[in-house]
Amino acid sequence: MSDPLMPELPSAGGGTIAPRQPTDWTTDAMRQRIRKRYARERRFRRLGLVAVVMSAAFLAFLLVTMASQGLGGFFRTEVALPIDFPQTGIEVDKAALDQPGADLALAGAGLENIVGSAAIAAFGDYGPNVISDNAWLTVREAIKHDPSILDGRAVIHVPASAEIDRAISETGTPEAEAAVTKLQAENAITEGFNWRFLSASDSTDPTQVGIWGALKGSFFTMLVTFLIAFPVGVLAAIYLEEYAPKNRWTDLVEVSINNLAAVPSIIFGLLGLAVFLGTWTLFGHKVGPLLPRSAALVGGLTLALMIMPVIVIASRNAIKAVPPSIRDAALGIGASKVQVVFHHVLPLALPGILTGTIIGMARALGETAPLLLVGMRAFIATPPDSLTDKATVLPVQIFLWSDEVSRGFVEKTSAAIIVLLVFLLAMNAVAIYLRNKFETRW
Amino acid sequence: MNDLTDTTLAQTAREHADMADSAAPVKMAARDVHVYYGETHAIKGVSIDIDMDHVTAFIGPSGCGKSTFLRTLNRMNDTIAAARVEGQITLDGEDIYASGMDVVQLRARVGMVFQKPNPFPKSIYENVAYGPRIHGLAASKSDMDAIVERSLRRAGLWDEVKDRLTDSGTAMSGGQQQRLCIARAIAVDPEVILMDEPCSALDPIATAKIEELIHELRGNYAIVIVTHNMQQAARVSQRTAFFHLGNLVEYGVTSDIFTNPREDKTKDYITGRYG
Repeated sequence: MSDPLMPELPSAGGGTIAPRQPTDWTTDAMRQRIRKRYARERRFRRLGLVAVVMSAAFLAFLLVTMASQGLGGFFRTEVALPIDFPQTGIEVDKAALDQPGADLALAGAGLENIVGSAAIAAFGDYGPNVISDNAWLTVREAIKHDPSILDGRAVIHVPASAEIDRAISETGTPEAEAAVTKLQAENAITEGFNWRFLSASDSTDPTQVGIWGALKGSFFTMLVTFLIAFPVGVLAAIYLEEYAPKNRWTDLVEVSINNLAAVPSIIFGLLGLAVFLGTWTLFGHKVGPLLPRSAALVGGLTLALMIMPVIVIASRNAIKAVPPSIRDAALGIGASKVQVVFHHVLPLALPGILTGTIIGMARALGETAPLLLVGMRAFIATPPDSLTDKATVLPVQIFLWSDEVSRGFVEKTSAAIIVLLVFLLAMNAVAIYLRNKFETRW
Repeated sequence: MNDLTDTTLAQTAREHADMADSAAPVKMAARDVHVYYGETHAIKGVSIDIDMDHVTAFIGPSGCGKSTFLRTLNRMNDTIAAARVEGQITLDGEDIYASGMDVVQLRARVGMVFQKPNPFPKSIYENVAYGPRIHGLAASKSDMDAIVERSLRRAGLWDEVKDRLTDSGTAMSGGQQQRLCIARAIAVDPEVILMDEPCSALDPIATAKIEELIHELRGNYAIVIVTHNMQQAARVSQRTAFFHLGNLVEYGVTSDIFTNPREDKTKDYITGRYG
């Protein structure tokens, strides 16, 4: 009789098992294997270290080059220009100087020539080359600000010319070097932070350009991109993960999204051009263009199309990573599907979704090609005030300046790159802050 | 041979037999239920009555379909696209698979506790309050406080957590987490509680606490528990159903099943011959 609680174990295969042969761990072959293994580990660790050092070196090189070339763009040399207004014979109605037509009146009074003559009087024949071509604009602002200077002799700090700038920072032409030595002896040269670079827009004169217009354009464009791509991308991901039936159609959609993420960005530019700016004939009527050319709205929509697949893919992965037990728990106490998604799945997936969005937005911020096609490469001298105003963005501005022939733009291009990198860092910092906030809350 | 009357299992079952009341009203009834996962026929024509105020244990070897059947009782199988249920299951005489049945309300009436403790990554308070909140069971903050306290007390957890209700539910020990999940389930005032191997991830002390809790809850709910532990089935249940390969082999009063099984398969299983 067998014990009911201890059933017999089936015998293993039958036959006898050979006695165990102890493994010799000290043979030469064994030692060699161990040596090889250690060598492989060391080799792999060294390769990894080399890779890290190389990328760090590239990054450092990039930052150092940009900083050394670009930081000068944030500063400008100013020359103290004395002007004896009564002697120049300028005739302006002072009462009209706070009127809208003041700019025209001063230009009509020959201010540009007066400033040129003053430069000759102060610095000799080379004088007009010492001050920027647009120095008279600074003088005009000074007169409008305080008309009483017209009554006597005034010293106005005007921007120096690009030649003088270069003679100070590196080596310039012999004439410029001589002029600098003379000016420095007279204490007529000052170095100041170039607020104009941060507050003005594009210009044909490198001493007058600013980044503000492009910065604002980038901000508006990113705003549109985020407002379209984030909600649409996340909702699409939720639908595909939580609601869509798994069949051939959803497989097709998935493949299409993956392919879209790999499409070159310029193709999206063509798409934006055709859809938002194209004209069609519908039922005999001409329709379109739907949206204005060169506007941040169109650029934003085009970039939204471009980064949406990235956000969808990242969001789907984040949603997939939420443990099914949480869904079960919520369903088990009678939460509806929508409640499960919005109360539990989405908050847990949010850090991952935000990471994907950061990557997408960073890509959109640095994108140039699609924006060229929707007309955002225009010369924009006034910062945009709305989404439909003509605008350009930072990378396009950098591209345009890097194409300029004037030497003064080299420095400005590097300075604009620094601004773009700072913008990017700020954007990522906000996103990472948000991500960490949601991570610690749960 | 195989005289079971001397085994400890049978003894345990007999000791708890006095609690069985054969005339209890039927809470849920299944009639000829079949479940398919795609091509797989997982449940093959199960008919069973779940009695009110009793604990019903589902036992059987792994993969026999007891968890699958449990999940048909509150339609959790709906979430699996390939699953298909045939036959009739009623709650208080109402067909839960009828088109007019609201699944959300059904799951509030038939609560569930899972194998692995799965508290939400929120505070202890929020874990318990979530169900009543989505079903609108509390009219005010003080109502909600009362529900949370009552539920935690019933789950035997109140004294341990009353000073740290704002702590995360996931920071507690496994046994506490599982009791929190039970508190969360009873907070929505269900009529039936389904437990899918609630102690399989817990140590013996935590298991004993959960079993004690099941005892105390018995009078107010119909409880169905899936378990691999024969001792546990004998200790906590008044009805036992033995599943094998998708069939309900034997169903009856627990003490009868463990002392005098009608089927040889049941006898073999509970004596440890396989499973």
